[in-house]
Amino acid sequence: MKIVKLKKENLFSFLEAISEEAELWAPVQKYENKHSFQLIKDFSQIDLKYTRTILPPKKLFLPPTFNMFLATEQGYEEDFSHATKKILFGVHPCDIHGLLILDRFFQHVFDDPYYSKARQNTLILGLSCWPDENCMCKSTNTHIIEEGYDLFFSELENDYLVWIGSSQGDDCIRIKPGFFDEDITDEDIQIYIKWQNERDKAFQVDINFVAMPDLMELKYENPIWEKLGDACLACGSCSNVCPTCNCYNVLDKPLLNKDTSEIGRCWDACTLESYSEVAGGENFREKRAQRLKLWYTHKLQAYISKYGKPACVGCGRCASTCPVDINVQTVAKALEGKDMDTFWNRLSKEVTK
Amino acid sequence: MKKDKLKIGIYELTGCAGCALLILDCENELVDIFQAADIQSFLMAKSDNIDGELDIALVEGSVSTEKDIEELMDIRKRAEIVVAIGLCSMVGGIQGRFCDEKEWKENFKKVYGDIEMTHTKPIQSKPIDAYIKVDYYLPGCPIGKEQFLNFFTRMLRGNPPERYPQPVCVECKYNENDCLLKNGILCLGPLTSGGCGAICINHNLPCVGCWGPVEGGNWTSEYYLLKEKGFDDELIKNKMANFSGTKIAEVSEQLIK
Repeated sequence: MKIVKLKKENLFSFLEAISEEAELWAPVQKYENKHSFQLIKDFSQIDLKYTRTILPPKKLFLPPTFNMFLATEQGYEEDFSHATKKILFGVHPCDIHGLLILDRFFQHVFDDPYYSKARQNTLILGLSCWPDENCMCKSTNTHIIEEGYDLFFSELENDYLVWIGSSQGDDCIRIKPGFFDEDITDEDIQIYIKWQNERDKAFQVDINFVAMPDLMELKYENPIWEKLGDACLACGSCSNVCPTCNCYNVLDKPLLNKDTSEIGRCWDACTLESYSEVAGGENFREKRAQRLKLWYTHKLQAYISKYGKPACVGCGRCASTCPVDINVQTVAKALEGKDMDTFWNRLSKEVTK
Repeated sequence: MKKDKLKIGIYELTGCAGCALLILDCENELVDIFQAADIQSFLMAKSDNIDGELDIALVEGSVSTEKDIEELMDIRKRAEIVVAIGLCSMVGGIQGRFCDEKEWKENFKKVYGDIEMTHTKPIQSKPIDAYIKVDYYLPGCPIGKEQFLNFFTRMLRGNPPERYPQPVCVECKYNENDCLLKNGILCLGPLTSGGCGAICINHNLPCVGCWGPVEGGNWTSEYYLLKEKGFDDELIKNKMANFSGTKIAEVSEQLIK
């Protein structure tokens, strides 16, 4: 793999040069300390110091709602209008891992054309980051990235070390060859190693994910699930913000006074009551506790058993989103037998009082 | 292949007439609507209304007078399908929030005194399914434009309308909003039927519950969560009751638990 160096002050000029024929999407502050990947028109909007976006990059590959095709009496017309040419800049390692997991779901057995088309049309430009109290990517081993990007920018003091991960990434570099320095000094390497060590020490969360499949099995009937179910607001937000949740629903939208219908698709979530409802009104997982158990079985057990790593990339979005403190961190700690000060734990004490 | 046009009637009982107004406000589609169906009765839109047999009756408003009951019974007799449109019709509306009959009588007296009503007798406001069988429900206060057009088109094609089984939070996250509840703001998103597009939260205003209670909402958890965030007991219960109509009776049982 080729690694080059870019002066920090040249970053935006470089992004401007390569995004002439594609949309540039990058992290922008949307609320105080809350970010979102947005279409960039003004480079000063880009926030290089963001920690996580509210929604993960999956929103650009399979938007929350979009039309798949127009059904007519003659057949159907596919609609790929979401799959415009994009450059997605500022993706952190956890989110790149999230996309690699989505690739597995949407490309490895059956190819989902809506996902694949958008994936092919998007360049991934990664960016290094610093953990906050919700980041768990060191535990999930997704703080390091070896594939899944076209370029990856590691921040040093005055420069970025730029990893070139694909031929398309290399093509980008060639647009502005003068910006890139192939001479990486020993000093640069020392700065990078020091940064990496300090970053690794900055993680505040440590979860043993290797033990999770066994713990899930051992605690499958544990009262903890009822406690979580009592508190869960069944809002589906944990699934919507999760970079690896990929379930969807298909909806017909008939058009007034036409013989055509738009066939749309929207994100769905197994944590919602309607998800497991079938024709006739039966529901396989009517109880919130059952639905949470399914979600966590998927994240912490089934995927690990099959692929040797969790379907959680440690981004911490569930932790920064759930209003009642149900997230990978608190559930994993509860499975480890820890008694924590969380809303769901306090509620259980309040209700049984 | 084309059948006769569906005969449709749009009726208003007790309410603000906002749902009927919303249908009228579908200005770009209004010609299409009137072309696609035979609108037999729509008091707000036309004067030559016929009270005959109907394929579909859309009923807005709650039942709050004896005259409402008579009108509703007559509509049910004439219509193949009855659809409750809007929150008043579905759960009794804001005016349906007092469930205890004694409390309702006291409140009535406080507002109107000992006045004798001459043309009809007022009764406690109730949803229309307290009196008749309802085939479909369209939530909202008022209903939404896109929701109505989708419903209307589906009915024209003989398809049942879409349900709204998901809470407001789902569309709220689709729009990448920050969670207000998490930030300590009294937001009823998790307890409220979605379909509105989370329009209030998109503008940084909390959900007040105007699409009515969502199936399977966890009222107990949200109640304790709001208490823990420092909200007054009465304020929480009032906010929760505001748009829940007679449904609050079931919910209150959950809260006392």
